[in-house]
Amino acid sequence: MTSSSAPSRKALSKIACNRLQKELAEWQLNPPSGFKHRVTDNLQKWVIDVIGAPGTLYANETYQLQVEFPEHYPMEAPQVIFVPPAPMHPHIYSNGHICLDILYDSWSPAMTVSSICISILSMLSSATVKQRPADNDRYVKNCHGRSPKETRWWFHDDKV
Amino acid sequence: MDSEDDMMDANDVESVDDDFYSGEMDADCYSDDYGDYDDDVDEDDDDDSGPDYDFMAEAADDSDVVAARSQLSYTVLKEEDIRQRQEDDITKVSTVLSIPREAACILLRRYNWSVSKVHDEWFADEEAVRKSVGLLDGPVVRFSDAELVCGICFDTLPRDRIASAACGHPFCKQCWSGYISTTINDGPGCLTLKCPDPSCQAAVGQDMVNALTSSEDREKYARYLRRSYIEDNRKTKWCPAPGCEYAVDFVAGGGNFDVACLCSYSFCWNCTEEAHRPVDCGTVEKWILKNSAESENMNWILANSKPCPKCKRPIEKNQGCMHMTCTPPCKFEFCWLCLGAWSDHGERTGGFYACNRYEAAKQEGVYDEAERRREMAKNSLEKYTHYYERWASNQSSRQKALSDLHQMQTVHLEKLSDIHCTPESQLKFITEAWLQIVECRRVLKWTYAYGYYLPEHEQAKRQFFEYLQGEAESGLERLHQCAEKELQQFLTAEGPSKEFDDFRTKLAGLTSVTKNYFENLVRALENGLADVDSHAACSKGTSAKVTGICKARATKGKGNGKSGGSSRNGDD
Repeated sequence: MTSSSAPSRKALSKIACNRLQKELAEWQLNPPSGFKHRVTDNLQKWVIDVIGAPGTLYANETYQLQVEFPEHYPMEAPQVIFVPPAPMHPHIYSNGHICLDILYDSWSPAMTVSSICISILSMLSSATVKQRPADNDRYVKNCHGRSPKETRWWFHDDKV
Repeated sequence: MDSEDDMMDANDVESVDDDFYSGEMDADCYSDDYGDYDDDVDEDDDDDSGPDYDFMAEAADDSDVVAARSQLSYTVLKEEDIRQRQEDDITKVSTVLSIPREAACILLRRYNWSVSKVHDEWFADEEAVRKSVGLLDGPVVRFSDAELVCGICFDTLPRDRIASAACGHPFCKQCWSGYISTTINDGPGCLTLKCPDPSCQAAVGQDMVNALTSSEDREKYARYLRRSYIEDNRKTKWCPAPGCEYAVDFVAGGGNFDVACLCSYSFCWNCTEEAHRPVDCGTVEKWILKNSAESENMNWILANSKPCPKCKRPIEKNQGCMHMTCTPPCKFEFCWLCLGAWSDHGERTGGFYACNRYEAAKQEGVYDEAERRREMAKNSLEKYTHYYERWASNQSSRQKALSDLHQMQTVHLEKLSDIHCTPESQLKFITEAWLQIVECRRVLKWTYAYGYYLPEHEQAKRQFFEYLQGEAESGLERLHQCAEKELQQFLTAEGPSKEFDDFRTKLAGLTSVTKNYFENLVRALENGLADVDSHAACSKGTSAKVTGICKARATKGKGNGKSGGSSRNGDD
């Protein structure tokens, strides 16, 4: 849906390539638990399986994360979305956009794909109810396939 | 019309002293009340003058107010002054708290550049302040290795290519540069730069920015810092004139927000619109919105156009017959009056200039609703247009006067000084006259916004207001005339003359009288024409007559626009 219509990206800079190769190598040695990187030859776009943690609302469920890297990664944040169907969660929209500050304003180049994945899993695990954000329909309708990085996010709740 | 006599009483003094405030008039009850303005204040205070009371009491002591106003309550800062002040403040904090300049700078920014606030907070709870801005006491991580891994590119590098904030988290200089540069290009948020480590709050100050980035980024950062010094400080604002880079430091008090920048632009420090005494900031906001508002365009369209019956586009008919043809591609032909298809019209419906169908339907009341709406929109639009035109014409008059003033200063004064063997310093009265004209045009302009919002039902106030405004206009007209036309002959004169001395006396006199009148006018309007209320209460008996005076005055004066004063004198 939205993922395929994301704007075509500029090729990765040399710095970005180096860093991603290092991240990928580290991931293969030490994958974060609950995640599986689907091997492709595309360094600029990773697809990652997320397995719901045992004992949470999402236990035994599997979702797909898509991570796309901009030319100047890691100075700029990657674009991270769930490939629909996205998990039912108060901070995840049905088009796969995720309302999580580290993906936007609070991104730091010292973060990694692995640290993002851990944050997302912790966000899923702390949910107490499976439901969409209150403004889901309006937001998704107004998105028209734009990247979530163009949204002005309002991070209201850091508990879930 | 019995009011003519009263008008003459009030206006038959045809000298320079023909000034409403000079107390020379005796017949008109308004002028009595108003001319003795200062003496009456005590009585007025007994009336229920409500929120105006304070202002009245303040205005009572005339000399004090004037003194307060002539004292500047602001300072204009040039770029160099801004830099200097900022440096001084940083030095002050740095010295008193014994911390590095960068840290002092971070603290000042955090507390909106208030030195005293920084001191208060710091000495109340240094630890909390340090924590809130990320000023660490010492490193949180220490490494003794010769080589370190950069936390961004993950390369392993020798120590000399690694840098850290106070926390000690290692990042290579190239990554630092990219990180800082990205943040600077994101905007003024770079002033709260932190260590890239997500769990670390250590602040990154200007020293690191300067050490690790390009000169372009350093300059940008310094500019944001200077902007913050003006914009985050409650006592300072930028001059809003386009292209002007000065700022104004304002000291509160006095109730007067008018500020004149060194660039010669005058603005209101409170709302940063152009200077607008005697109207308040709220009225200015409404008026400006109105001038630009879609609603006025909509009103115009509603009042002057009808929608094409077929394609619904609004059509303005400004002349010609009733046979309308809509613009392509619609091209629908219809009758302007009944909006029916033209094919149904012809000789039998009244021809090109009438429509029997319309007349018949109108008799039955079919068009009433739409017509009435159109009529109402037209009336309110006319009122607005009346005030707007005069507001705008004073604005352009002011612009013209400004350029005349410039011409005077750059060309004519020298010439005059030559012809009349007078040093230019002795010709200041001419510059002063022109400066006064410029100021009067500004005040007069805003009286039209004032008039527009003066409630329709406050008849006595409206009449009094229009009287004052009319007097102001004719007074200014006289001054403008003298400074513009009467000066001409002296520019072409052959040598010094007695006439020039007379001219000097006249122009200086007119300048001072007009200045006085406008100052009083501004004060009267600013206190909401409060003395009209007390007057209305005490002289019900004469109010009918007064109404007569002012109506006659208003219609004649306003109808002729700026020449109101002189045409009235002609009538007399």
